[in-house]
Amino acid sequence: MSGFTISRRTMLTGSAILLASTAMPTSSWAQTPKKGGRLVLAADSEPRNLNPAIVASNGVFFISSKIVETLAEASFEGKDGLAPRLAVSWEGAADGLSATFKLREGVKWHDGKPFTSADVAFSALRIWKPLQNLGRTVFKDLSAVDTPDDLTAVFKFAKPTPFQLIRNALPALSSVVPKHVYEVGKIEDNPANNAPIGTGPFKFGEYKAGQYYRLTKNTDYWSKDEPYLDEIIYQVLPDRTSAAAALEAEEIQLAAFSAVPLADLDRISKVPGLKVITKGYEGLTYQLVVEINHRRKELADIKVRQAIAHAIDKDFVVKTMFLGYAATATGPVPKNDPQFYTADVPTYAFDVAKANALLDEAGYRKGADGNRFSLKLLPAPYFNETKQFGDYLRQALAAIGIDAQLVNNDSAAHIKAVYTDHAFDLAVGPPVFRGDPAISTTILVQSGIPDGVPFSNQGGYKNDALDALITKASETLDTTARTDLYKEFQKQVAADLPLINVAEWSFISVASDKVGNIANNPRWAVSNWADTYLES
Amino acid sequence: MRRLRRFLRTPEAVAGTILLTVLFAMALSASLLFPGDPQAIAGPALLPPFQDWSLPLGTDRLGRDVLAELFHGARTSLAVGLAAAAAALVIGAVVGTLAGFAGGLVDEVLMRITDAFQTVPGFLLALAFVSVVGPSLGVVVVAIALGTWTGPARIARAEVLSIRERDYVAGARVIGMRPLEIAFREVLPNALPPVLAMSSVIVAAAILTEAALSFLGLGDPNRVTWGGMIAEGRAVLRTAPFLSIVPGIALVLTVLGVYLAGEGIVETTAVRRGLS
Repeated sequence: MSGFTISRRTMLTGSAILLASTAMPTSSWAQTPKKGGRLVLAADSEPRNLNPAIVASNGVFFISSKIVETLAEASFEGKDGLAPRLAVSWEGAADGLSATFKLREGVKWHDGKPFTSADVAFSALRIWKPLQNLGRTVFKDLSAVDTPDDLTAVFKFAKPTPFQLIRNALPALSSVVPKHVYEVGKIEDNPANNAPIGTGPFKFGEYKAGQYYRLTKNTDYWSKDEPYLDEIIYQVLPDRTSAAAALEAEEIQLAAFSAVPLADLDRISKVPGLKVITKGYEGLTYQLVVEINHRRKELADIKVRQAIAHAIDKDFVVKTMFLGYAATATGPVPKNDPQFYTADVPTYAFDVAKANALLDEAGYRKGADGNRFSLKLLPAPYFNETKQFGDYLRQALAAIGIDAQLVNNDSAAHIKAVYTDHAFDLAVGPPVFRGDPAISTTILVQSGIPDGVPFSNQGGYKNDALDALITKASETLDTTARTDLYKEFQKQVAADLPLINVAEWSFISVASDKVGNIANNPRWAVSNWADTYLES
Repeated sequence: MRRLRRFLRTPEAVAGTILLTVLFAMALSASLLFPGDPQAIAGPALLPPFQDWSLPLGTDRLGRDVLAELFHGARTSLAVGLAAAAAALVIGAVVGTLAGFAGGLVDEVLMRITDAFQTVPGFLLALAFVSVVGPSLGVVVVAIALGTWTGPARIARAEVLSIRERDYVAGARVIGMRPLEIAFREVLPNALPPVLAMSSVIVAAAILTEAALSFLGLGDPNRVTWGGMIAEGRAVLRTAPFLSIVPGIALVLTVLGVYLAGEGIVETTAVRRGLS
């Protein structure tokens, strides 16, 4: 027990330093931004396709959100949590059959051509709806986009579509690409996917595989005086331990997306000239989830699923694995979501005795070797934490007499094993909550999704009541009624446990004190950085 | 007896033997000293060594006992090292003997296959094999053996080429033994000593390859391995370096022990041969 206080104390000092460090930059924000300079930062992956309209993922946004802009960006202060970008205003019709966007005047593409409503119509109909990983769901009923003039785009829907959903989807799903570049040839093979052309504050410079991406200032940006930076260099540092060293050596000025391992934060926060920032990722919450294959007869039993939920010590996971940089989860919507979250759901306290009793009740008694049955456990390889949680879960299950055998795969093999071949009993996954349950959360439990769709219900779970609720919510136009339906959704998921939500976490940035205007919106790392600057 | 005394007179042999004895003792006593799952959570996370005497070497990021992991890891390292080396020697000796004894087309075919395996770096071959088949202890053993059997095969063949011309082989032929019988009962046993002399190098290399595979996440995830421990510790290298250093030292001492003991044996037998 004495050791436990040590870890709690280090945790507290850690969070105290964090508080201090988040308070610090506020004072420097008051300074007037300085123009010029080159920002060098760490990149841990090298996406090949940089078109955010096709691949709406954080790895792509991290680089291309500076080049290609969306209609609106997430905001701490703005109405409905949005700030205008390429659209200046938006309004949904009462019948849910149309949505009108007024576009910004005087915007030019990086090649000099003017930006018009035709570009928006083209992007929506030809890319977001048919090709984009997330847009396929959200824009499935989009039938046409009318362009009465160059600065107005009217989205027409075949079926009533809640405007709340469209609004919540704008920051991640509405990247606008130029029609004149993409209308010739096959969109997927367009060279602009690798060297994007957009309206953003930075232009694509060059990419050297394994070395860096270089973005240069767009001198003709629509917001006068912006951007402040001359250049952004993404230094490819795939090794997580090297980012911290590079920051200390002042080779890079920023490491976003937790490129610095959590265990190093306490030490690095004491390095003069560096600050640790936990803000700026509120709109990008990852969920640590135990995915369950309901085809296994043991796991199809609700008592067994409840037993597994009781066997997981969520506080331990948050304190030991995430060192406090996470929150325990209660259900499929994260606690930090301002619109939909409800705490009024069935919860499962850490209770090994109860878990054992539930398993006995379900008829799975311990054998001579102390085991009830054996399971295959596949932790997703994307994050250190998902792998580590796999190790932890194996121990937690051993404590209730379930023998879990770990199977490690690389990314491609993991996706195939879980989402196409269903060759798993339990899997550990990191789905993302994107501001609205209809974007990427309900498909985790909905039935009838074809095999091979990654990050969807591939566990063979089918619950008619829950399916009906999801369909009803997707057709409900009234914001309050829709929100209430999603609260009911959280209750039913927590009660029936199609999957087990363990924790919610986001990322940490470490930056040099010289970098200004950091973390000033909830999706900062994947926003356009027009106002980011460097003090000399 | 004289040989043992001579063996013990070489200091490197003694050092190697002591290291190996300790290692075997660790591997054999792992279940007695640390019963149960070595990966069970035993205490607070990231406890430094020599703080709590119930966890003398401290704990890792999940609070697992590093000493228990070290003992159980010795087991995996030795098991994989010995099994892979044994497999490599058996395959190598059989292939080499067949090629050398049969000659002609069989020799050509077998040696070209050996060439093909030799041109691919052994570690790359192991890496590819494990990532295709999926990591488990047996697969790792086969993967390592795949890259190491070529050395013994070539040596066995060279040795067999000279042995097959000896009188007792001709004698065996005269009394009507079948060719395969001659190859494996008369020739192979006499061709073995120089092949076996390689074994220490092969065991050492196999242990290192296993550690490298585990380090890259291609070891058996349900077993403790030293390579896996080093990889785990790498994420916290700056704050808790002991997590990587402790299994690293164990690995160095093991490979050194195997190598020194092997050298000692080779030296002793060489001296004996030289004298006789």
